[in-house]
Amino acid sequence: MIFFRGNDWDKNLSPEELQKVTSNFMAWFERLSADGIAKGGAPLESETHVVSASKGRIVSDGPFAESKEAIAGFFLLHVASMEEAVEIAKQCPTLKYGVNVEVRQVAPECTKMRLAEQLVAHGAA
Amino acid sequence: MIAPEGTTDSPPTADISQLADHLFRHEFAKLVSVLTRIFGIDRLDFAEDIVQETLAKALRTWPYIGVPRNPAAWLTQAAKNLALDHIRREKLHRDKEAQIIASFEDWSSDPDSESPQFENEIKDGKLRLIFACCHPSIPPEAQTALALKTLCGFSPAEIAKAFLTTEAAIAKRLTRAKQRIRELRIPFEIPSGEELSSRLDAVLQTVYLLFNEGYKASSGENLIREELCSEAIRLAALISEHPATDLPRTHALLSLMLLNAARLRARTDSDGNVLRLKDQDRSLWDRAMITRGIVQLGQSAVGNEISEYHLQAGIAACHCSAPDFQSTDWPRILALYDQLVLIDDSPIVALNRAVAVAQVDGPEAGINAIAAIRNCQSLESYYLFYAILGEFESRLENFPTAARHLRRAIQLAEIGSEKALLSARLAECENQPTRVTKLV
Repeated sequence: MIFFRGNDWDKNLSPEELQKVTSNFMAWFERLSADGIAKGGAPLESETHVVSASKGRIVSDGPFAESKEAIAGFFLLHVASMEEAVEIAKQCPTLKYGVNVEVRQVAPECTKMRLAEQLVAHGAA
Repeated sequence: MIAPEGTTDSPPTADISQLADHLFRHEFAKLVSVLTRIFGIDRLDFAEDIVQETLAKALRTWPYIGVPRNPAAWLTQAAKNLALDHIRREKLHRDKEAQIIASFEDWSSDPDSESPQFENEIKDGKLRLIFACCHPSIPPEAQTALALKTLCGFSPAEIAKAFLTTEAAIAKRLTRAKQRIRELRIPFEIPSGEELSSRLDAVLQTVYLLFNEGYKASSGENLIREELCSEAIRLAALISEHPATDLPRTHALLSLMLLNAARLRARTDSDGNVLRLKDQDRSLWDRAMITRGIVQLGQSAVGNEISEYHLQAGIAACHCSAPDFQSTDWPRILALYDQLVLIDDSPIVALNRAVAVAQVDGPEAGINAIAAIRNCQSLESYYLFYAILGEFESRLENFPTAARHLRRAIQLAEIGSEKALLSARLAECENQPTRVTKLV
């Protein structure tokens, strides 16, 4: 009765069919990486519109299994060394109860800003 | 007890609140978006209040009248009535009253009998709301809070729990975000043309952050964190189903979230201890979710653009399709990481790549890969950085060095179960006989 359209994607694919879909993806990936990929996702740094209001892009921990699960368990507290990040962390009242705090690292400057400064410098020269 | 007509027998209150909650989460964005379309985005608060009030009413009355046969229709009708009451009482929209009442008449109370045209309007409305909440002029942390509040019906208290902060802090974020929407006259529309692509990236980024919030921590309110993951998945599914945003990278994001969320349940044992990938019971992985993830992966492999979401989805797919740890396709994972570090220079990505390097070329290569990480200062206070180095050194049988790294990792780890896991590794290293000169 719930309106979650798309539950029906859950078609009963056999393991072989799933394997085939995965292989297709990997073949696609290999073709593109052989062509010299990257143009696809513009580098994250230049996609910083998300944080145009603040100072730089968010570096967030990701759902990477390699470090969290392959080595030492999955939990990941991203503690940046930058003061702002620490300041934010300190504000968390649950800190003293041993709860982890969300800390994000802010890049020193926004690439758009850097670009703007370069353009200005260039124009001034 | 005789149930009134059109209702079922009254179930226990706890069940009702659970049902209402569930239904509400799924109806929330729809009700808010329809009301916002009618009243305007600058009255987002009003729309949310009406919908909140609607749920409160359901929770108050359903235990007595029983659950309506068509709860969604009931909620819609109740929201309409409440909105009309407010308009009449507050005389806020007197000039527009006739127009508003006319819009209400188009809005069928019965979601099952909605015209296909109206259904498309609903889809549009929800997407408009997503674009408004994830507008680049709103600070990112406020975007995720606003998305949870407006699109997923979370209360400020729930958002605060999920983000491990105070309710007051969340309330402040929300107020500021809504102020910005009003001040900047953020439009209630789906961007088009060139703007669409960059605005969509901002939306996907917010959804990804939302997912990460839910995925990353093992502490605190596990239930609410799992909900964050499923709400992020729900939003991405919604975005992927709209023709304007049905793009390969949307499917890639959805795929990576599904494939990672599928493993959530297996990550801890029944006592809450953290389990390593190789120790996880893979039969606990959610097969239906993996299937959905792989289907999305297939839909993402179109065109000539590989996003970071594609690469992360590919990596997650490698783990999900390995029947056991030994058969993991590490060379493939490494190939995906090699591309990922090209478009994402985060030291966290580089660190994870180093693990793949070690699996393919041995621990020494892994150590070298870590040494080559640029801008790794931020890793110096990161416990996994030392945990990984410790692991590599112990594989090389450099037990004293390994022990040193592991001790540092234990100092930095904050969660008991992680400390315990690391301490066990440390004990193993300390109990190794000191290596004397290796005989050649």
